[in-house]
Amino acid sequence: MKSFSIKIFSLLACLFFLGEMNGQVKVSGIVVDTDNVPVIGANITEKGTNNGTISDIDGAYTLTVQSEESELELSYIGMQPQTFIVGSQREFNITMNENTTLMDEVVVLGYGNQKRSNISGAVSVVTAEEIASTPVLRVEQAIQGRTAGVQISQSSGSPGSALTVRIRGTGTITNSDPLYVVDGIIVEGMDFLNPGDIESISVLKDAASAAIYGARAANGVVLITTKTGSKQNKGFISYDAYFGNQSVVSKLDLLNAREYAIISNESYINSGRAPFTNLQDPSIFNEGTDWQEAIFTNAPIQSHNLSMNGGGEGFNVGISGSYFLQDGIVGGEKARFKRYTAKTVLGYDIKPWMKIGANVLFTNFKRNQLQENNEFTSPIIQALNMDPLTPVTKPDGTYAYSDFVDTDIRNPVNAIENTYNTYTANRVVGSTFGEIKFNDHIRVKSTYSVDATFAVANGFNPIYNLSIDSIDAPTAEKSLVNSVFIGNNTWQNWQWENLAMYDNTFGDHSIGVVAGVSANSNKAKYTGGANTNLPSNSIDDALISNTIDPIGSQSAYESGDEYTFFSYISKVNYDYTGKYLFTGSFRADGSSKFGQNKRFGYFPSVSFGWNIHKEDFWTMESISGLKLRTSWGRNGNDRIGNYGFSSVVLTGQNYTFGRDEIITNGSVALRVSNPDLQWETVTQSNIGLDIEFWNGKLTGTADYYIKDTKDMLYNAPIPGIVGALAPTRNIGEIRNSGLELMTQYKGSIGKLNYDIGGNISFIENQVLFLGGGDPTFSGNTFVQGAVSKTDVGTPVAAFFGYKTDGIFQTQAEVESHAFQNANTAAGDIRFMDLDNNGVIDDNDKTFIGNPSPDLIFGINLGLEYRNFDLSGFIQGVQGNEIFNASVRYDKIGGNRPASILERWTGPGTSNFEPRVGISDPNNNNRVSDRFIEDGSFVRLKNVQLGYTLPSKLLKKINVSKLRVYISGQNLLTFTDYSGYDPEIGSNGALDIGIDRGFYPSSRTVLAGVNLKF
Amino acid sequence: MKDIYKLLIIGLVTSFGFVSCGDSFLEKEPLVGQVEEDFYKTEADAIAAINAAYAALQFELTPGGHFRWFWGDIMSDDSDKGGEGDNDQFTLKQLEEFEGPTNTEYLQAEWEADYEGIYRANKVLERVPSIKMNEGVKARILGEAKFIRAYFHYNLVTIFGRVPLVDRVLAPSEYNIPQNTPEETWALIESDLIAAASVLPKRSQYPAQELGRVTQGAANALLAKAYLFQGKFPLAKTAAEAVISTSEYQLDPEYKSIFTLVGENGVGSVFEIQYMNASGGNWGRNNANEGTFSCVFQRARGQFEGYGFNIPTQDLVDEYFAEGFEDPRLQYTVFREGDAMGDRGIFTIDATGGFPHKYYNRKSFNNKSEEAPFGDPNPNGGNNDRVIRYADVLLMHAEASYHTGDEGSARTSLNLVRKRVGLDDVTATGNNLLKAIYHERRVELGMEGHRFFDLVRTGRAATELADKGFKIGVNEVFPIPQFEIVKSNGVYSQNNGY
Repeated sequence: MKSFSIKIFSLLACLFFLGEMNGQVKVSGIVVDTDNVPVIGANITEKGTNNGTISDIDGAYTLTVQSEESELELSYIGMQPQTFIVGSQREFNITMNENTTLMDEVVVLGYGNQKRSNISGAVSVVTAEEIASTPVLRVEQAIQGRTAGVQISQSSGSPGSALTVRIRGTGTITNSDPLYVVDGIIVEGMDFLNPGDIESISVLKDAASAAIYGARAANGVVLITTKTGSKQNKGFISYDAYFGNQSVVSKLDLLNAREYAIISNESYINSGRAPFTNLQDPSIFNEGTDWQEAIFTNAPIQSHNLSMNGGGEGFNVGISGSYFLQDGIVGGEKARFKRYTAKTVLGYDIKPWMKIGANVLFTNFKRNQLQENNEFTSPIIQALNMDPLTPVTKPDGTYAYSDFVDTDIRNPVNAIENTYNTYTANRVVGSTFGEIKFNDHIRVKSTYSVDATFAVANGFNPIYNLSIDSIDAPTAEKSLVNSVFIGNNTWQNWQWENLAMYDNTFGDHSIGVVAGVSANSNKAKYTGGANTNLPSNSIDDALISNTIDPIGSQSAYESGDEYTFFSYISKVNYDYTGKYLFTGSFRADGSSKFGQNKRFGYFPSVSFGWNIHKEDFWTMESISGLKLRTSWGRNGNDRIGNYGFSSVVLTGQNYTFGRDEIITNGSVALRVSNPDLQWETVTQSNIGLDIEFWNGKLTGTADYYIKDTKDMLYNAPIPGIVGALAPTRNIGEIRNSGLELMTQYKGSIGKLNYDIGGNISFIENQVLFLGGGDPTFSGNTFVQGAVSKTDVGTPVAAFFGYKTDGIFQTQAEVESHAFQNANTAAGDIRFMDLDNNGVIDDNDKTFIGNPSPDLIFGINLGLEYRNFDLSGFIQGVQGNEIFNASVRYDKIGGNRPASILERWTGPGTSNFEPRVGISDPNNNNRVSDRFIEDGSFVRLKNVQLGYTLPSKLLKKINVSKLRVYISGQNLLTFTDYSGYDPEIGSNGALDIGIDRGFYPSSRTVLAGVNLKF
Repeated sequence: MKDIYKLLIIGLVTSFGFVSCGDSFLEKEPLVGQVEEDFYKTEADAIAAINAAYAALQFELTPGGHFRWFWGDIMSDDSDKGGEGDNDQFTLKQLEEFEGPTNTEYLQAEWEADYEGIYRANKVLERVPSIKMNEGVKARILGEAKFIRAYFHYNLVTIFGRVPLVDRVLAPSEYNIPQNTPEETWALIESDLIAAASVLPKRSQYPAQELGRVTQGAANALLAKAYLFQGKFPLAKTAAEAVISTSEYQLDPEYKSIFTLVGENGVGSVFEIQYMNASGGNWGRNNANEGTFSCVFQRARGQFEGYGFNIPTQDLVDEYFAEGFEDPRLQYTVFREGDAMGDRGIFTIDATGGFPHKYYNRKSFNNKSEEAPFGDPNPNGGNNDRVIRYADVLLMHAEASYHTGDEGSARTSLNLVRKRVGLDDVTATGNNLLKAIYHERRVELGMEGHRFFDLVRTGRAATELADKGFKIGVNEVFPIPQFEIVKSNGVYSQNNGY
């Protein structure tokens, strides 16, 4: 209350003493921050005098100055100062910008926060404002393109699907996902979190920053802090919403009906077989069925977010709720993702020496799932490979089946309609803490947190039959018995952390110490069952008990696993006059995943920083900040299955005995054990530079790192003669190294404020050692087998196959080339005989592409003019390849890309599309560089145009901020890739960049509103 | 402030309380399954352990296909790959044409499945002896394990030739043991089978609910096969006679019923791999399903809902007319156009989806009504795999007798087989008798996965398979899987000519 009295007094004083003086000018106005929240206590002074005032509780001020020539100065702690000449204007409503120079930003780190200027590690930060500038569906997207060194790619464009996050490259071939920590709680997956609840995201990239998370930090750490009410804030309520429409970006050029008939006829004739009689005259066909048109749809998207935050003397409260709904551009509601979240945060200073708090987040989401990214079952593969002669429906309106393809390639519209797969999850993530302050220097804090998920997977396969005459349809187009399954998965994790903290300053020396212990338990339980033959074919009756079969046809299962963790944590920060910075940390982790011999791992780190601009010798005023950073540290990875140190004997290896065929149990350990199993470690060195010009107008950051993974946890193949599955072993080494650059410039031209920023990362990934020459093949595609190989000297999961050298134009060329196949003929692909032994064989296979990019970049632009704002965000990758496996070459009657029209039909006709035929004696479709495409792209991820209503107007209706915007996502993409979407992520650590009918990301147009009062 | 210090002490004590219990906090045993240290303790454990070795017999797709009919039929002149076209399982086509791809999944899967069976048998042989249990049951189980170990080594030596023999559970230091000569592997097979035959019960000695376990007869029959393959004719004759003399087996009265459900484990069945129509399995290693994929793979496409592999050749069909009339066994071996394919309809080219195959294998056919009405239709076949039939034993006996100069015994055994299907006795002698035995093997055992190995062991492959590209001195065995050579760090060498 004391400061409030002073304010009132000053105000009154100003009014009395200055109000009536002659020739003087009285100016007034309101001071607000960028969120239109009044700034209380801002200093408004007349330059060169002692005359001044401060703004009141509503941000209002009045000041009488000498003349119109007087210059007003406005200042407030944490805000950028402003000056202006009074002139003829009498009312100055001023918006103060936060003084967000990079150096002063407070950054959330593991176990404590630090000012950016005092950080000596490599940390990238994404703020709430940045998140708000692009409505994101998932948390990972908020990081995409905004943080150097972090690659985010999709594993699917379907609603609710997870994204692949790689911090500084693929560090291991088991699991390279980073560790996610939300408000201090280690969590799995990000799908439960509402992006609107996020206050900031810190990405801990170097080992030193991440080392405090020890054993699980090898792939980097993503620290997420959610919004809480602030004790200094008066309460506000905000509501953010958007509505939008999503559509497919582009369709692929496939054969139409006439072209299909031409190619089909030619294929049969080339293979010495009679073409189909009904296709003999292709001219009777036109376009035929556009199966892509049949499956793609416009899909709605909407999001609502309501939050109420505030606080007062000794307490803060935050409550928020959100609703999100997104349909799929394939399947519409059948691919719907719907999420509700509710969050409560409470903090209370219960005693002068004790703080308590709680934080509870509840999420419910439901995801309807289609088959995707699978060359057997995805509707996209079916649409791409279904012949255009088959209509979607028969004349009677029921769905039609194809006479030309069968098995996997079925009517995709019918397939979508008969898919009933849902995954529903309820998740609670919450924590409570108590913190005791002994004196100004010593605190202890105990936090108990819980992360519990209750999820249900449901599936129903109804009866359908596309036959005309009861049984004529192929097997895949009729399902004569219906079935239902349910799977209940629960994960119950808890963590208890006890920390002691010490902070003190001795003259020029500042020191901070954290020490503590943490225990963590994770339990999973899976139960479920299935049944067939339900009398009703309705999804509403699809319950296991609604069967007409005896109980014997039911199946049920129950299983689970658990693991535990126990850690000792310590960290020291020291700085000398803010010039010389040091951070050291040490963590010891024990995990139940490892045997007694190797249970504990030890993870040290050190980092140093030097704020050169604070040195006396530094005289360059234009460079207002210059910091050199260097760090070294070791992290661990334990992301493997449980109990790997011991052989687990499993039941279920059964055999049938007796005339009555009785299934009899068999038990054996399927996997070899490894009692010496231990941590995988990553050792990383980082050197970085932060630079700032003209008090933060232009900033830049550069980092270079070398990240070495050793003792990589790897189920390296073992000789088949062992007869059991390979144990997880600590072998293998991978090196990731890279350079990261970030820059940001803020400027203004008159009333136009603008900023432009960008980041670029160069990553090199190389397998150094695989325990002695055992490469791993991965990325199986049905058509061509394994397309990826992880081997020493190449990147992880590099594409591996034959190199092609055009097409044999004549039989003479076939004869003069190395032997490929007895029936190889002109028009077939010429494969390169790399070992020059005269035969094309396995030894001619080689490295044909890298699925990981050489560089990734992001560019963001912002413009503000009066009440308008415009932002744009561009993202891209360069230098990666995609293996296009979306064409089912094994299906003779399948449709093909229109490029097949350029096929070889005689000498000189084509040097890239081989002759067509129903057989392929030369195996033209073996894994080769024919299917490798450049995956580089530049994409305009987002453009947003906003308008903030004038505050004067809003004030009358008690609204502090109202902004409306329209936004477009994925409006433009520049790429040479021929598939739907070049942004193809990984499907497991060793399956990267393979297009198996990828569910593409959509083009989205949104309209939204931000309201605050 | 005093209170605060108390709290601090409590806090610290609690923290360190954790530390002291930290070790047991970090001890977690599996919820599903048990660690091996707790297993192999009881008779039930021993039975479960041997059953797991039997389960390896059922492996067919792990995940590459390695059906017995891949090697025995498709590689021979009895059948062609079939399927949807050349591209459908392309490397199988290459194998069939002896182009020798060394890295196909079929070779890899066969190799892995055989050694997985050996591993499981070795686990039994290593761990069961120390279990306190009924000694009779224990001896039987050890005999079963030896049979299974011999059976998988038999597959390996006949398919790959020079393979490492594995007579124990390998320690990590032994992972790179070298290949053995075929002779060394044969020696292990022989000794295992002799040992098995000495302890295994006769078929009639097993209780009804144990039907399907390997018998003394099965061990002697496989031993006869092993001897015959090596040209050890007197020993082969003795081993075959050991089966015949027990009177445990007879020829099934009706040939036509052998490959139907009622014919399973019939009087003429010496060794059968058991399957049932309980599906729900998956395609992959260790996915223990009780059904066979053989039926769906060999049924015609189209309305017959199969994949149309293993298409009998005209050459095989012609063999059934070699005596100037249609051998009565043809109609139970091959489906021809116009035949009813069980309850699935009449075989017409149109009904199969227009594929140009004129014949399909009848010996691996299952009726729609025999399939379980649920689960994955692929492994839904319940047909047992008739690995060794009594007719095979008789014909092996005939062949061995012929080579040991006992033409009388040869004709007796041969004519027993012919008599069952109403054919006249063979009276030929000398080389004509041998030809008659060969002919009889081909038609009696057609499409049962024997032909390729019969051609190889009798030295006829080079002539009979010449137009398929068979090269003498090379194609008697298939390539060692390339990936295994890589993993051996060069300890293994590839077979000659590949």
